[in-house]
Amino acid sequence: MVSTARRIAAFLVTAAALFALALLAVNTGSLQVSPEQLINGLFVAFDEDVSVVYDLRFPRIIIALVGGAAMAVSGVLLQAAIRNPLADPGIIGINAGASLVAVVVTALFPAWLAFTPALAFAGGMVAFLVVYSLSWKGGLSPLRVILIGVAVGTMFSGLMAAFSSTGGGVSSSVASLVDANITMKTWADVQTIAVYTAAGLILALLCARRCDMLALEDKTARALGVEVSASRFAVSAVAVLLASVATAIIGPISFLGLIVPHMARILVGTSHRALIPYAALLGALVLLAADTVGRTIAAPYEISAAVIMAVVGGPVFIVLLRGARATYGE
Amino acid sequence: MASNVFTIENLAFSYGAHPVFDGLSLAFREGAVTTLIGANGSGKSTLFDLMTKNLKPRAGSLFLRGANVADLRLRDFAKLVAIVHQRNIAPADLTVERLVAYGRFPYRSFGRSGDAAEDARMVDWALEVCELADCRGQSVSSLSGGQAQRAWIALALAQGSRVLLLDEPTTYLDVRYQLDILRLVRRLNEEFAMTVIMVLHDVNQALHYSDEVVALADGRVVAQGAPGDIVSEELLRAVYGIPLRVVEVDGRPFVLEV
Repeated sequence: MVSTARRIAAFLVTAAALFALALLAVNTGSLQVSPEQLINGLFVAFDEDVSVVYDLRFPRIIIALVGGAAMAVSGVLLQAAIRNPLADPGIIGINAGASLVAVVVTALFPAWLAFTPALAFAGGMVAFLVVYSLSWKGGLSPLRVILIGVAVGTMFSGLMAAFSSTGGGVSSSVASLVDANITMKTWADVQTIAVYTAAGLILALLCARRCDMLALEDKTARALGVEVSASRFAVSAVAVLLASVATAIIGPISFLGLIVPHMARILVGTSHRALIPYAALLGALVLLAADTVGRTIAAPYEISAAVIMAVVGGPVFIVLLRGARATYGE
Repeated sequence: MASNVFTIENLAFSYGAHPVFDGLSLAFREGAVTTLIGANGSGKSTLFDLMTKNLKPRAGSLFLRGANVADLRLRDFAKLVAIVHQRNIAPADLTVERLVAYGRFPYRSFGRSGDAAEDARMVDWALEVCELADCRGQSVSSLSGGQAQRAWIALALAQGSRVLLLDEPTTYLDVRYQLDILRLVRRLNEEFAMTVIMVLHDVNQALHYSDEVVALADGRVVAQGAPGDIVSEELLRAVYGIPLRVVEVDGRPFVLEV
């Protein structure tokens, strides 16, 4: 069981780590600014170095933080809605649907660029509805959702690969979306991802109690007045929104939506009123860490955050699951 | 004449092409402990699911004190009728107190508690009645089978409904805990005037702890009434399809189930 003290400690430690990492990320690269210079340059007087950092590194850092939070909370919501610990926006094909749309819009309809998140949400929703309706047989079978999701996701990823290799990928912004590399981001991107993610996170918090109820047997939840099928659908839709927006701006990040919720549950327990905000915090930390490592480890070349997530995430996940029998043993 | 809590009129239901009920009519008395008995496949679990809005009748209606059950929203139904299903799971770290507090969910609107003081009072009362006050901080998964079943009943009691529906509440428990649960059911009826409708497998427990027994066979009501009035060797043969002897113990009928 998770005590309140442990929960508070987890929040504080993670928040402190996040702050330290953000400061480190600001100073990672060829240009260095001291904290005094940074504060001075931001709030007091113009400073050329600070202005470069402000325009190039700040958007990237904020996007990694917000996108990480969105993907992690999306994973928490999907795992609650589908009641399967393997659910993740990447695994069930939502990211693939959203990123296919984002890539096509970026390459072919640059005039619609401002609507990319909304269109990606539509793409994610289509993928989700296809998976959901194909796996519906008098009820939602958690296993079937995963199997059909993998199939649908693979198909969309294949379409995206086909599109980018037949010439759609010549533009670097398309390439960075396909690889999920957080590079060349602007303050406009920050604004877009922040607005949609804030809306998604507020909706997620409003769903928290409902998510708790969905962990009970369906009949028991219904006995308590929860419309189980409708709640599952509503919670999933919020998850799709969060995952699609992050995917539209960053690209498909695999694994984050799967691993972070599990780590978060081990640290703060299964109550969604603590789990959702904590997963947001931890997701932000993890994606910023992945991105910062990715751009320093082989400098001047950049390895995308998604690649770091995949390489480091796998082993971490296995260690976590082996060490957390208590949480997953029935 | 005593009023009825549930009235079932001409109910029809089938699983695919296989009919379970075809024109079932039945009434359950308010203020009584009524037990549904019947062999596997007699329709008692299906009837329970129909009464708890987990299945929809093909034809006919169910009324809860005159209101058509089909027209009641789940949330409103939950304020009137509390249900304990047979199978239950809880996350490993869910405490007894938090589980029982879920019973107040029907009273929340837009994520806000209707009346926090009333919520706390009902949770305390439910824990007290089910003798769980001492383990309110423990996780549900750490409880013994008997305690866990009482925790699920406490969750239902916290809903504050006057009607309690129990689906085979003693299954999976050894005999000591079975009696614990059945005595709790009697107490809820006698002390707190709750109407209880339950499904039981054990005939003798049904006879001993019920005011009224409804015997189902092949989707029809074979008998309904006070245990002493209806139990006979003919009835048992009709319900279970095998000959069973009935003897008298302490002035009550007792079925030799061996």
